Amino acid sequence: MADEFIKGLSIFTGAGLAWMVLAGWYRTPSFESEQQLVAPVELADSATMFDSLGVLLMDVFFWFAILGALTFWVLVPAVRRAGEALNERVG
Amino acid sequence: MTDDTPNRETDAEKARADGSGIVAPDDETPTWRERKTRTQGLSQLTYEYFERARREDQDLRQESDYVERDVLAFPTWPHEVIRNLAVASFFVGMLIFLSATLPPHIGDPANPSSTPAIILPDWYLYWSFGLLKLGPLNPELSILGGQKLMADRTYGVLANLVVVGFVAIVPFLNKGSARRPVEQPFWAAVGVGGVLFAFTISVYSAKNLIPMNLHLLFDLTFLVPIVGGFVTWAVLKTMREGYMYDLNRRYYRLRPPK
Repeated sequence: MADEFIKGLSIFTGAGLAWMVLAGWYRTPSFESEQQLVAPVELADSATMFDSLGVLLMDVFFWFAILGALTFWVLVPAVRRAGEALNERVG
Repeated sequence: MTDDTPNRETDAEKARADGSGIVAPDDETPTWRERKTRTQGLSQLTYEYFERARREDQDLRQESDYVERDVLAFPTWPHEVIRNLAVASFFVGMLIFLSATLPPHIGDPANPSSTPAIILPDWYLYWSFGLLKLGPLNPELSILGGQKLMADRTYGVLANLVVVGFVAIVPFLNKGSARRPVEQPFWAAVGVGGVLFAFTISVYSAKNLIPMNLHLLFDLTFLVPIVGGFVTWAVLKTMREGYMYDLNRRYYRLRPPK
């Protein structure tokens, strides 16, 4: 159980950090503004392929942080518990 | 073979990590009353936790290469130094990473000719700022014909002195012989109440931080710490049933006497 927790936590913090950095680049007009990390994405005309890749990775990291953590904290233990319950009922 | 007399050998073969199936050593066998009080809820959980800690301690001491020491700890070099280096490297690396990837903009210089809408000290002084706003507590004395004995601002400064004075006195009232909050629930409750009061008075200092009736917020500023302290006291009192004082004494044998 502890192993599953630290896996989920690592994914959550690691992917969350990567998302925060990319959102700081592409979704934060200014650190003084009221919308930081969640402002609509605005790519300048001079945006390169790396910029669009960064915008794509931003969403990838965001959903990886949420779904990855949910997988290890909820899904895997639930499946394991279900298997145990099934085994007890059968055996 | 019932649950009350489990087989020691099978227990040692299959060490379960969830705290179930553990038994007290022979000389510490609990009485029937103790058994009854530890069969449910938080007291059972506390008892099982400390019983498992005692069991792991006993297993460690029975290992052949174990050297009996007064305090169970690791040597500074290399264990602690390497651990500290790893932790320090992580945080330094995180600082460098964040300052490299998210450099904050340098804002406009402050305009000395305009007063900001909200005036607040730095966040760690909010509690003191909140104590300056205790005007509603300053009594209007009928003996003075409804006048207040001192101005509200004087009263606020005096409140700062009282709170700082209480914090300064606490170490003399309680010597801190407890290693864990369960050992002295009352003083743990005082501590929790103090922390909560520092928080609530900080929230109150901004006055418009929480969208709430100001009178209600003022009442909650003093009620929340009392309620929180009482809940802490009650929870720790419950946990005492399962707490094992001997185990704690064994770990901290080198403590100076009171």
